Amino acid sequence: MPGPIEFMVWCLGFASEVAVVVCAIRAKVFKRYLPLNLYMAASATVELLRYRILNHYGFTSSNYFYFYYYSDALLTITLYLALISLFVIVFREMSAERYVIYGASLLLGGTALFSYLVVQQSSNRLLTHFVVEMSQNLYFVGLVLTYVLWGAILKLRETRTQLIQLVLSLGVYFSLFAVNYAVRNLYPPFSPLSIALLQFLGCFLPVAWAYAFWRIPKDARLAPARLAVIPR
Amino acid sequence: MSRKLTVILLVLLILTGAMGLKTLVTTHADGAVMMANGAAPAPPSPWKNGAAPAPPSPWKNGAAPAPPSPWK
Repeated sequence: MPGPIEFMVWCLGFASEVAVVVCAIRAKVFKRYLPLNLYMAASATVELLRYRILNHYGFTSSNYFYFYYYSDALLTITLYLALISLFVIVFREMSAERYVIYGASLLLGGTALFSYLVVQQSSNRLLTHFVVEMSQNLYFVGLVLTYVLWGAILKLRETRTQLIQLVLSLGVYFSLFAVNYAVRNLYPPFSPLSIALLQFLGCFLPVAWAYAFWRIPKDARLAPARLAVIPR
Repeated sequence: MSRKLTVILLVLLILTGAMGLKTLVTTHADGAVMMANGAAPAPPSPWKNGAAPAPPSPWKNGAAPAPPSPWK
């Protein structure tokens, strides 16, 4: 059973997820970043349900186990869609939304197919294997996509501060989890520490997004860092 | 047409890159699963005992249903 610190961090994570939605409504950007807010609302709802199931059935019960992994897969798909919505916002000025949506659908289908090919040999609990594998693969696709988006933002000289903050937070969030996971696998003695850190890392994204909606005005623009040098 | 092909190429590149990164990160994995949504405590890994498919039961020959016990 989780201890008081775990419960405290869990409560902090839940509160910051609710704060994201509240701050977005307050800043009147709820509709502009609708998929991001829906992801946070879904995440907060899942936290409540996880707490209810944990309390009712126990930490080591199969109910909590299945609900945790299946809900995580659904949340990863929602996060992927939220990330694609950021792509759409960035590429809207180029009128390339159609291609972004086409590419995103293709990528989601390709990831699902790849995951199925990996797990098709395991006849035992095929669906659970598939759900977990798909969730993991989509996570890494999201990690790479965030860096691609950041590259596009730099290339297109995007200046919307709130958008940049949202994308950067997502990049840091994905990278933190990937580093934590790599350390956990490469240095097994650090495994308990990295598992303990997971909950803290889970709070990073909602806190950073809540900050972006709360503190940064919706029309704020970054001043260009440098002027382009044109050779004569 | 060329734009669509460019999108397909980009999708394949991203998929290959992501799977390559995953392979790199999970080189020495012991079956641990990375979960990254929310702050709930993660339950034990579902693949704690390895990811190999379970062998068939040594006490079962064929797929026919077992008859009722003769000692009932």
